[in-house]
Amino acid sequence: MDILIIGLSHKSADIGDREIVSKKILTPELRQEFAKKLLNLKDEGDRPLIKELAILTTCNRSEFIMDLSPWAVGKEAHFIKDYISGYFFAKKGADNLFYMYLNFEAAKHLFSVASSLDSMVIGEPQILGQIKDAYNESCEFRMNGQVLNKLFHKAFYCAKRVRTETKIASSPVSISYAAVELSKKIFNSLGDKKILLLGTGEMGKLTAKHFIKNGVHNIYIANRTKEKACHFVEESFGVNEKNCIDVIDFSEYYKLLPHTDIVLCSTGSEGYVLRYDDIMPVIKLRKQRPLFLIDISVPRNIDPEINKISNVYLYDIDDIGKMIEGNLEIRKKEAGTASELVEINAKEFMEWKNSLNAVPVIVLLRNKVKDILEIELSKYIGEKKEKDLIINSLTNKILHEPITLIKKAAVDSSEANMLETLKTLFNLDLGTDKENGHKRNNDNIINKECEKGSGDKNNLSKIKLIK
Amino acid sequence: MIFMTAGELYLIPFFIYVFSYMFLLLRKKRFYQVFISLIYSGFIIQSLIFFIWLNLRGFKGMMSVDWIVFFNAWIIMIVVVLFNLFYKAKYILIYITPIVAINLLLGFFAPHVYINIKSIFSNFDQAILLTHIILILIGDSLFALAFIISLIYIFQERRIKIKKNLKLFDKKNHPFDEVFYQGKGYNLELLDSMNYQCLKIGFPLITIGIAMGIYLSNSLFKSFMIVKPIEIISLATWLIYAVLLHERVAKGLRGKKAAVFSIVGFLLIISSLSFSFYLFPEFHGFK
Repeated sequence: MDILIIGLSHKSADIGDREIVSKKILTPELRQEFAKKLLNLKDEGDRPLIKELAILTTCNRSEFIMDLSPWAVGKEAHFIKDYISGYFFAKKGADNLFYMYLNFEAAKHLFSVASSLDSMVIGEPQILGQIKDAYNESCEFRMNGQVLNKLFHKAFYCAKRVRTETKIASSPVSISYAAVELSKKIFNSLGDKKILLLGTGEMGKLTAKHFIKNGVHNIYIANRTKEKACHFVEESFGVNEKNCIDVIDFSEYYKLLPHTDIVLCSTGSEGYVLRYDDIMPVIKLRKQRPLFLIDISVPRNIDPEINKISNVYLYDIDDIGKMIEGNLEIRKKEAGTASELVEINAKEFMEWKNSLNAVPVIVLLRNKVKDILEIELSKYIGEKKEKDLIINSLTNKILHEPITLIKKAAVDSSEANMLETLKTLFNLDLGTDKENGHKRNNDNIINKECEKGSGDKNNLSKIKLIK
Repeated sequence: MIFMTAGELYLIPFFIYVFSYMFLLLRKKRFYQVFISLIYSGFIIQSLIFFIWLNLRGFKGMMSVDWIVFFNAWIIMIVVVLFNLFYKAKYILIYITPIVAINLLLGFFAPHVYINIKSIFSNFDQAILLTHIILILIGDSLFALAFIISLIYIFQERRIKIKKNLKLFDKKNHPFDEVFYQGKGYNLELLDSMNYQCLKIGFPLITIGIAMGIYLSNSLFKSFMIVKPIEIISLATWLIYAVLLHERVAKGLRGKKAAVFSIVGFLLIISSLSFSFYLFPEFHGFK
């Protein structure tokens, strides 16, 4: 019944190691295959160690989120970690690349990840979508269950609270966003503007995508190898985005400059692609209309002197980076408040999870009381329907207060012995319940108790919604 | 209204404008609507004062220095409200309303003296004089707007050029902060476009106004050749705006240089108006 998270991220492993893990669980098929192997891990008594599983994989992290079987103890968690480490790496000491969190720490970690507190760029919004994908996939592979359902929903809820109640996401920090925002300071509307993208870098792609999102319809892409540019467009952009893009010969980009309003440069060239003397005549041809140049390549591809030309505005990656730095500071300040929210939610989750420990005891106790009542009342009441009604009513009345106390005891660690005392007092044995012939839909009762404990009766409908 | 003098009436919209800025300075989003409502209320009251006074006194009532200043404030406000509606640029309203308020205050302190034009102008010339004043004031209001827009342009262009104090993302979400701290809506293209619109509309009005002024001067002094300081400054102003318009249309001049031209042109207008109305009325050519 323990929550276990084993994984590696940008904080624990370098990009090379992360790539090795990521490649082996890159596709859903690969992930399903590995998940099956994990779920088949058994203890010495040939009992499965893992009840529920979800695999989260992003460019910066790979994590395995598990709900362990009740009989799995600390030793088994290390066994699972060794197995995961051995699956991905042949080298010795690779288990040091992986971190491991159990129960409260695991919940706190997942909530922090979902709230983007553990991300490379704090507050970035993509991570929550990636966690939702991981959860959906777990549902699809039927690897989820009551505990992971609750854990993930609590993570989504926590992430939402963090985003709305703190300023962690109020100041965007991506280069592409900054480029678009800067453009809006120069141009009134981006819809009628022409953008020239020089090079086919990742950053250029993201920025071009962001410009399209902001209404740009004309983007020209020029690369030294035209085929590479065509392939880049084919691979990187959706159908609608492709309608806004034209690939041109690299030799022709200069002819396009007088008609271009924004130039995005991300080539791998070692020298300047655009020089001061190139831009001077262009500005005259443009009749002094403003020209915005964004140089996101390292080393720089646009001559910095160009910024001195009237109506030309040049920003390189450092200039944009400085603007983003301020926002990162804001986010780091907000992270403290966000961590408190994460901790509160993790505590709430653990309370709910601990309350589950009481459910089997409650079920057994109810059954015991019902059995006694049934035997005694059968002597006086013949009609089954009437008898069952009375039995249920009396059981509820007798056990209302004890059940409340049992639930409290399950949550409160200082009263951990109460459950054991109760079992001894009433001779409740988890293993013998079914053997004694009780066929009273115990699962239904367990589910009802769990729902009461979680206070979340819409859990199942929420799962369907996310699916 | 009849219990109040014209000067006291000017103080009603003046205090409304001043009061409205208190709501803006509270920096609470819910108060921004109160600010806007008060500004528009002030404008409506200004308009009511204008039309009621016009109804009571007729056009001859306009021939007092304080009334001309009040009229100027009203025209500026019309231009600002129209620009605000067309361009959705809230900063225009925020920046120009104080100028309107100052104009109203000047109107209160300006001499409430009627200029007796009946004795010096024929009926036809009186109409020409009135049109001259209205055209010049509308043109000047547009140039005043262009002046403010140009100042904002130069300030914002500098921030973008030197890459300092340029807040991109600080979402405080209140118009006061958006305008003064983030420069939201201050895109250079829109500022330049508004500047050009002011010039395109204002220049013909000023041209006709100056032509009428020259005609009136001829009518009054019986000669085109009497050169007065106001005429020199007016012609110099006209020349600056003519060059600016020509450069914009023919050579596509825009941006910082165009903004500087607008600023210089307006400073000349201010000097000519100050000289002619407040400091040396004889500067205009009449006492």
